[in-house]
Amino acid sequence: MGDYMMKDVFPILSREVNGHRLVYLDNAATTQKPQVVIDAMADFYSTSNANVHRAVHTLAGEATEGYEACRITLKSMYNAPRAIITSGTTEAINLVAHAWGRANLSKGDVVVLTEMEHHSDIVPWQMLCDSIGIELRYVPVQDGELDMDAFAVSLEGASLVCVVHTSNVLGVRNPVEKVISMAKENGIRVLLDAAQAVPHETIDFLELGADFMAFSAHKMCGPTGIGALLVNEETFAEMEPFMGGGDMIETVTLEGSTYQSNEHRFEAGTPRIAEAVGWNAALNWLGEQDLSSHHKRMLSAARSVSNALKERGITVYSRLGDGDAAVVSFNHPTIHPEDFARLLDAQGIAVRTGHHCAQPLMARLGITGTIRASFYLYNDQDDADALIAGVDKVLEAMA
Amino acid sequence: MNWSPAIQGLIEEFQEIESKFEKLETLMDFADELVPLPVEDWNESNLVRGCQSIAHIEVELANDEVILKSAADARMVEGLQGILTIAVNGNTPDKVLELTPDFAEEMGLLNTLTPSRSNGFRTMFDMIQNRVKELK
Repeated sequence: MGDYMMKDVFPILSREVNGHRLVYLDNAATTQKPQVVIDAMADFYSTSNANVHRAVHTLAGEATEGYEACRITLKSMYNAPRAIITSGTTEAINLVAHAWGRANLSKGDVVVLTEMEHHSDIVPWQMLCDSIGIELRYVPVQDGELDMDAFAVSLEGASLVCVVHTSNVLGVRNPVEKVISMAKENGIRVLLDAAQAVPHETIDFLELGADFMAFSAHKMCGPTGIGALLVNEETFAEMEPFMGGGDMIETVTLEGSTYQSNEHRFEAGTPRIAEAVGWNAALNWLGEQDLSSHHKRMLSAARSVSNALKERGITVYSRLGDGDAAVVSFNHPTIHPEDFARLLDAQGIAVRTGHHCAQPLMARLGITGTIRASFYLYNDQDDADALIAGVDKVLEAMA
Repeated sequence: MNWSPAIQGLIEEFQEIESKFEKLETLMDFADELVPLPVEDWNESNLVRGCQSIAHIEVELANDEVILKSAADARMVEGLQGILTIAVNGNTPDKVLELTPDFAEEMGLLNTLTPSRSNGFRTMFDMIQNRVKELK
């Protein structure tokens, strides 16, 4: 599909912002939705809305089928034995901390994290540290990459490794294959934060060999409020329910309850049904795209931005290697990031500023925040050129 | 509200600008209007909280006239401080306490800013009035 056609598929990209064509470059925060996803959710509410499971009426059957179809697609697309549907990556990681961590870790057990983690893969473990006394070890970041020597040392006696597949700040794709094989050689469980990875590459979960993989729908053309935790069978059997309520039980008496044996045991309460229908549409649509070719085009556009910024004396923190996400994090030596981004927005260009929920990484880089332009499959060189022209206008205004 | 000629001038100047980019450029030009608060005078009590930028404001009284001194690390925040300087400096404490922050709405300024900056403007305005009350 050519770039022009691709932009046509996303209705929001035809709008104007502040009198300019919208140039949306905040995709690491959330992606836009293709018409097929919008239609799927609208159709669900127009024709099939009901609560899932148990009820025998037709609408409940259709809603259940729509919800479970998302799980089937997830399992098939990522080759995953188990797919627990959550509210997103954050809830998926918290689920590991509570449902697996509380059942399998105790005082003094070691969890290895990296300085590159998103707060959602740090705070749940710090909370577990406070409540049951686990030990946290952080793998340092050197020159924007994980220090693999330090990682090897950190594995001594560890029970779990939690690592981000692709950094939301730098776009750096970590050597996750090596990380997982080193952890596995030491009998350590691995949790992969794949929120920034699955939008750009299709991952074979079993082949990769992690025990858990967490990601969100909204970063891959799906709706907000839904995500998944993929789990292998062995690790799934080690998890205990932590959130109780409807739908996750088998029987309830006044004396106690028994729980479902499948993924439902971790999905208490009415789930995100329309969102699952929308996400399923997004997954199927993405499955038809040539992600590899889109990735190359995005990377090329991002590199042109990076080069142009450097030529203008702007510091770029992103590496933009072949496997990295097309994310350009940068700072001007004197212009405040918020001023910069506001002046870009006045030209219809959407970028993000701040610490990007990765304050430890910011501390390692010796900064408090960056301006981040992140590309997705509807972005093309025109968008990159618009950003460069926008930057020039900002520099002119601030001169 | 009947605004002072200085504030009325600000409202008219900003209302004439249609382009958001030009409005922001004009806002930044007002950074030149602030009376600087030297770095050595920055402290916890004059720090503007809730602002994503680093910003400080201090109020003094001299001959029954309010003097606002301010500083920030972002040009747009300095611009807001410049506008507040025009609005309050040289006025009596009573005049400053009669003021409402609505003039910024009339200027069409706050909706051109991020919510945090818009809140920062309100916070600075409130800090000025609270400090004037203390000094009066």
